[in-house]
Amino acid sequence: MTRGNRAARYGWVAVVGVVLAAPAPAEDDITRALTTIKSVDREGKKNDSVGPAWRTLVAEGGPALLPTLAAIDDANPTAANWLRTAVDAIAEAEANASRPLPATKLEAFVKDTKNAPSARQLAYELLSKQDKSAPDRLLPGFLNDPNPDLRRDAIAAELDRLTKADPATAKPALERLFGFSRDKDQVDALVKKLGEAGVQVSVAEHFAFLTHWHLVGPFESEKGKALILSYPPEMATDLAATFPGKGGAKVGWKPYSTADKYGQMDLNKFLGKSMNAAAYARAVVNAESETPCQIRVGSPNAVQIFLNGKKLFEREEYHHGMNLDHHTGLGVLRKGENVILIKVCQNNQTDSWAQTWSFQARVCDATGGPLPGLTQVVLRGGQPVPLKLGESPEPDAILEGKK
Amino acid sequence: MTWYPRLLACVPLTLALTLPLIGADWGQFKGPNATGVSDEKALPLTWAKDQGVKWKAPLPARGVSSPVVVGDRAYVTCSSGKRDDRLHVLCFDAVTGKQLWHRQLTATGGTACHPKTCMAAPTPVADESGVYALFATGDLAAFDMDGTLRWYRSLVGDYPTITNQVGMAASPILAKGRLIVPMDNEGESFLAAVDTRYGTNVWKADRPKAVNWVTPLVREAGGKTEILLASPSGLAAYDLTTGEKQWIFKDGGGSIPTGVLGGDTLYLPGVGVTAVKLTDAGVAGEPVMKAKDVKSGYGSPLLYAGKVYATDGNGFISCADAKTGKLHYRERTKGVYSASPVAGDGKVYCLNETGVTTVVKADSTEFEVLATNDLGEEGLGTPAIARGCVFIRTDKALYCIGK
Repeated sequence: MTRGNRAARYGWVAVVGVVLAAPAPAEDDITRALTTIKSVDREGKKNDSVGPAWRTLVAEGGPALLPTLAAIDDANPTAANWLRTAVDAIAEAEANASRPLPATKLEAFVKDTKNAPSARQLAYELLSKQDKSAPDRLLPGFLNDPNPDLRRDAIAAELDRLTKADPATAKPALERLFGFSRDKDQVDALVKKLGEAGVQVSVAEHFAFLTHWHLVGPFESEKGKALILSYPPEMATDLAATFPGKGGAKVGWKPYSTADKYGQMDLNKFLGKSMNAAAYARAVVNAESETPCQIRVGSPNAVQIFLNGKKLFEREEYHHGMNLDHHTGLGVLRKGENVILIKVCQNNQTDSWAQTWSFQARVCDATGGPLPGLTQVVLRGGQPVPLKLGESPEPDAILEGKK
Repeated sequence: MTWYPRLLACVPLTLALTLPLIGADWGQFKGPNATGVSDEKALPLTWAKDQGVKWKAPLPARGVSSPVVVGDRAYVTCSSGKRDDRLHVLCFDAVTGKQLWHRQLTATGGTACHPKTCMAAPTPVADESGVYALFATGDLAAFDMDGTLRWYRSLVGDYPTITNQVGMAASPILAKGRLIVPMDNEGESFLAAVDTRYGTNVWKADRPKAVNWVTPLVREAGGKTEILLASPSGLAAYDLTTGEKQWIFKDGGGSIPTGVLGGDTLYLPGVGVTAVKLTDAGVAGEPVMKAKDVKSGYGSPLLYAGKVYATDGNGFISCADAKTGKLHYRERTKGVYSASPVAGDGKVYCLNETGVTTVVKADSTEFEVLATNDLGEEGLGTPAIARGCVFIRTDKALYCIGK
């Protein structure tokens, strides 16, 4: 073989190798389209390239379905909606062409909790539309699912089954189901069912509400700017410190607790009714190890959420309803003691429905469920005492700070 | 290709971009420039669930937005899920009622709201090219008439402080090829003109931080096109080309119903309906008419056949002379109204919340009820009039009423 022949042969081998190693053209188009869609920027700045990529992806049809679902996993919320509508369009086109979706692959995708919760739910719905037996087969496995809607559907189905079952045998299953429940209406329904079965459970502990706080306030909201003003307690570490409060009054930290099952803290009751004001609530949570967490707050007032001095969230809106978990601060609890600080501001509206000054707060995982290894540290006689999150206070502790 | 065929090819597009929505189309909230009036004749008078209905299409979920109809396409938005975070855009064949496509988005903004409303509250706006759907979550998507996603934006992703826990409902409109997006809220408030091709901002004008449910109006003034938007701070006018504020009329404030233009007269809801004359420079002089007993609730007033009409949350239908303000009648009917009254063919259609439409004779100063038509389903969205039919969306279905 001459040198030239060898070179030609190696050249062919190289070409064949490249061809074999390269993705199929369609696959390559899909990958490129997904990459472009996931690069979408703020204010629609890349929409001129993302739009054509969406059309390319949808034109690939059925083969693009699973890759598009999988791409939702690490997509930002804007890109996820581009991808979500692509899944709709692909599935719709396949249905119009009477081509079944790949049921086995969809089911495997749904069952793999490493996939994005929203993509799994979408896959589940596509599968259930095609295979009417899928919900009965799959829902029992979703009782502790990271996707809130799959979990909710699973709990609803199981609760319906248990409601028809013998109450004596259903009791342990109801207790187990209560542990899985996250939505307030399902929690309330299960508390009622358990009560009928003679089992008392704590809603506050279930939701991991913070029920023991040190409060300080009120502070003057100058020109109604309480939320953007930083008051001394934000930096304070000494619970014995005092501060200049509203109207020149000297205010200091005082302990208060709540026995409300949803952890409501009524600041009008504890600090005195005050308009155009700000107050701080401080709680200490001990973590056995470093733990990612969500600090979820409900309040009809403007709020800020701090963890160990770092602001996680703020929202300036007043008296537009009070919803459990409406505000969420994402943070990481460090091993040991963590200080959670909630700033709650009241405006000067005179409407009767605008007099509420309150909040509720809890610490939970991404599903709204309890985190292991957490306790709330409460001072009793000057000594730190660990309590379960949501644990009810002793009766005389509720208004302890009033003494 | 020489230059003139290209130019000719651009003419239909140019016309489509410059002409307002006219004729049989009902492309936005309350139809052409939010007048609530159709020029169509032979509109239906009587119907029931199983009578006089040309077609009925089931909807996947609730919505308080109105249907819009352009050409042979009818578009509807819905929202669903325990957290109301599933956002739906549907397109139907306006002739047959066949569902042509259905796309879903996942809410990227907050979903808290008053129980009467939901995330599908802003009415979409459509033209010959497709539909632009805005949701109360700040999710904004443009689809072509065949369901291709042209562009999508998460306005809360772009401007994270957007918030209205009562629920947003102001609707986008189209003006000379630009999408006008009202986003008055407690966070970053703005009015934006968005490029319809890619969804990028052409301009974005700061607005007062306050919740507001008013939909913008369009008018020509001094060779310019102005966008009028009322809010609790007053009625402001913006140059469509630049977004610069042209003038403000502080006495023209409002936050729920949308006013109505009749030539150079603007009828503003407030304490009843007040009419003001508009010049190129803004509002001229004192009000020219006051009809204090023509009271609106959530719905917007109607100007038709020389009269102003309004319906309210106590079930009243009111009517006054549009020039003098003299009250013709104020009559109580069963139920309460959220939808705005609309009119055409000498008939005023008043849809109440339980799905009963009271049809009132327009050519009369007496309260003459021509028909009372009950669909038996919740009806909060304002009906649309197009293609000789009345389109009503309930919480369960889209009805095309007529022949």
